[in-house]
Amino acid sequence: MKYVGAIGRGLILVLLLIFILTPDSFAPLFRPLTENNAPPIYNQGSLLSLTLSHLAIVVSATAASAILAVGLGILVTRRSGLEFLPLSRSLVNIGQTFPPVAVLAIAVPLVGFGEKPTFIALFLYGLLPIFENTLSGLTQVPRVTLEAARGMGMSPGRRLCLVELPLALPVILAGIRISTIINLGTATIGSTVAAKGLGEVIIAGLQSNNLAFLLQGGLVVAMLAVLVDGALSAVERLAASRLGGDDTPKAS
Amino acid sequence: MIAIEHLTKRIGETTLVDDVSMVVDTGTITVVVGTSGAGKSTLLRMINRLITPTSGRVLIDGQDTMDIPEDRLRHRIGYVIQGNGLFPHRTVAGNIATVPRLLGWDQKRIRRRVEELLDLFQLDPAEFANKFPRHLSGGQQQRVGVARALAAEPRLLLMDEPFGALDPIIRGKAQADLIAIQRRFGTTIVLVTHDMEEAFHLGDRIAVMNDAQLLQYDTPAQLLTRPAAGFVERLVGSSDRPFRLLSLAKVRDAMEPGDAPGEPIDPDVNLRDALSRLIWAGADRLPVAHGNDTATAHISVSGILSHGRPPQ
Repeated sequence: MKYVGAIGRGLILVLLLIFILTPDSFAPLFRPLTENNAPPIYNQGSLLSLTLSHLAIVVSATAASAILAVGLGILVTRRSGLEFLPLSRSLVNIGQTFPPVAVLAIAVPLVGFGEKPTFIALFLYGLLPIFENTLSGLTQVPRVTLEAARGMGMSPGRRLCLVELPLALPVILAGIRISTIINLGTATIGSTVAAKGLGEVIIAGLQSNNLAFLLQGGLVVAMLAVLVDGALSAVERLAASRLGGDDTPKAS
Repeated sequence: MIAIEHLTKRIGETTLVDDVSMVVDTGTITVVVGTSGAGKSTLLRMINRLITPTSGRVLIDGQDTMDIPEDRLRHRIGYVIQGNGLFPHRTVAGNIATVPRLLGWDQKRIRRRVEELLDLFQLDPAEFANKFPRHLSGGQQQRVGVARALAAEPRLLLMDEPFGALDPIIRGKAQADLIAIQRRFGTTIVLVTHDMEEAFHLGDRIAVMNDAQLLQYDTPAQLLTRPAAGFVERLVGSSDRPFRLLSLAKVRDAMEPGDAPGEPIDPDVNLRDALSRLIWAGADRLPVAHGNDTATAHISVSGILSHGRPPQ
């Protein structure tokens, strides 16, 4: 089962690379989906550069969310920061409650068209999963482990870096993975406010009633999501196996 | 030497530890025993300042613990807790190396110390050093926990119900190991337990706590023969008190001159075990001798029994 998944993702990667590097070679495949001699392959820009821009905005927005959300998660799990928990919760919840489209609508008059409003929308949207996972990861570190760390004379900073964060890492990474996947899809709406990204292909398809464009944009985003999910899951498993979670049999 | 002076801990209206004073001699095992909620863990945790006392002080070799930065104090004091608290993300070697790393020992010295300790606890370094805690049995985890506490050669070891999670057979072995290690390094040990059997087995002195107060602090024999009225009397005054008393004395304390027929008993065997041997052999007397030496003394049932009651 494990290998089937890996092989599947490998095939998807190859297919994706061939498609965004030489889209025209797929023209015969998409021609039946077009009418009135419309172009079968997206022709208003390079798919490669759109894909890269799309990834760039998702990665930068999610990285910014991760820094703030993990930081807040650490703060509110300290004894001195406990009182900020309700405030932090409502802050990250606002990001999730406002639909990204609404955030775009509000952000455009403030920061103008382009990448900025999209970045803001994705950044806010990505906070909640990372924050909640950081919180649960840090709070599920066994009390007895922390007690032992304190008893051996680890300072609070060392306890955080040497014990709490390593133990919470797999859960935090899962939160980052979820945010990244959500944002990969959500980033397509950024094209409505002129951010460069794969949404352009879909919007162009909608505007010219070109099913082939629609499908191309959608498929590339979907394949990216599957690949990124696979890659980040692998990182998570690596982190979890560092916690001793491999399959060596238990000694008696 | 640890001097605990008028140590008190209050949280709001509740008094967890009430004006406890006691002195623990260097190189001895002191067991603090009592029911749960008696304040014994709180007392222990005030020694390494995991809990700050409301009043009173703790002196270690004459130095007030409040004058030592708390992390530095804890580097010098080994600490073992129930459930051992091993770091699940670190290997056995990594766990044991925790305090030496905090102290900045060089790699070579750390590796040598880790191997030495693994050998001492009968864990083959080649097999165990790179294992993760979850791949060890409960008894092995417990041994690693004690090895970790001893890593930086502390002169004082605090143990909070260290054997509570072990089954009886492994617990007996762990207790024997602890005594052997204590003899070898001369470490001063303060151990908290609710198990009277364990207290009598390990303690050079036993401190009995109830309702935040220290009721009696004495040698096991004194505790059995002269228990303080009330709680301590009820605690030790069970039907097996004579047998506990017998297990504290050795054959050499009760032997009488003259030979006797039968299989000889070693003079270092405790009287409880000696009585078992006599009952099993159906004999009234057995010779006492080291190994294959000729017996010049014997031990008798009546001689043993006279040690199982308070001196008149």
